[in-house]
Amino acid sequence: MRLLRIGTALLLVTFLAACATGPKLAEMRSSIPPLKSGEGRIYFYRAGSMVGAAIQPSISLNGKVVGDSKPGGFFFVDRAPGSMEVITSTEVEKKLTFVLDAGQTRYVKTTTSFGVLAGRVQPELVDNATGEKELAETSYIGQPLK
Amino acid sequence: MPPLVAAMLVGGCAAEVVRRPADFTARTDDPRYVVLQPAMFRLDSGYERTIPSGTKFAGAGRVREGAVLRPVETVFTIEGRHMHEAYLVLNGNQLVGFYLPVEKAFSPLSRPVELTIEERKN
Repeated sequence: MRLLRIGTALLLVTFLAACATGPKLAEMRSSIPPLKSGEGRIYFYRAGSMVGAAIQPSISLNGKVVGDSKPGGFFFVDRAPGSMEVITSTEVEKKLTFVLDAGQTRYVKTTTSFGVLAGRVQPELVDNATGEKELAETSYIGQPLK
Repeated sequence: MPPLVAAMLVGGCAAEVVRRPADFTARTDDPRYVVLQPAMFRLDSGYERTIPSGTKFAGAGRVREGAVLRPVETVFTIEGRHMHEAYLVLNGNQLVGFYLPVEKAFSPLSRPVELTIEERKN
């Protein structure tokens, strides 16, 4: 019984350490810069789930690392319109492709699934209503905003 | 097969989405359509998709295989080893496949499904 309690406590500590901490969107909305003319915005986020919490791969956008997939975390990047390729790499590489238009905001959710040897993290394009709703539950983990 | 095992196999060993290059011609007008009856179908990769009734689309253009419809206020993706944003390709009222705007390719649906849509004037 004592071992079970210790195990549960360790699991909880590990989970809390793995989860994102930072301001919620509602707390920092005023500090988010407006979208520049001719650019689009991509929000990346991951729900705060215990499943696969220790697996936190980098997220690449068109070949450049833009952040990490952390449970309960979100960040955003602004880009010129065009084709976008998002990649997360764990035991396998998972890719998402989509088009970003000028003035458009898109939401990419990363989710975990079971793999053969370890969990996998996959990027998924979600509609704006879902993205806005789920993003509100996450915390900002991007670069400090001016 | 247990669902967990099936999910592992589908997610880990799924084939790449089958596609071939497509010449896309954009249209300049912007007709709007709405789906009147939900459509469920299975992609060749094994993943299932549903288009709910009420989903809106805009006429984006044409490829050789049919008219290309872009989702409005929602997103549509097809999935194999990777996930791709996709527009519907309709030949008459048959959904025959998908246009992948990033890959500039057509991905056929080996079992076309009927899609009941109506053009909306507003």
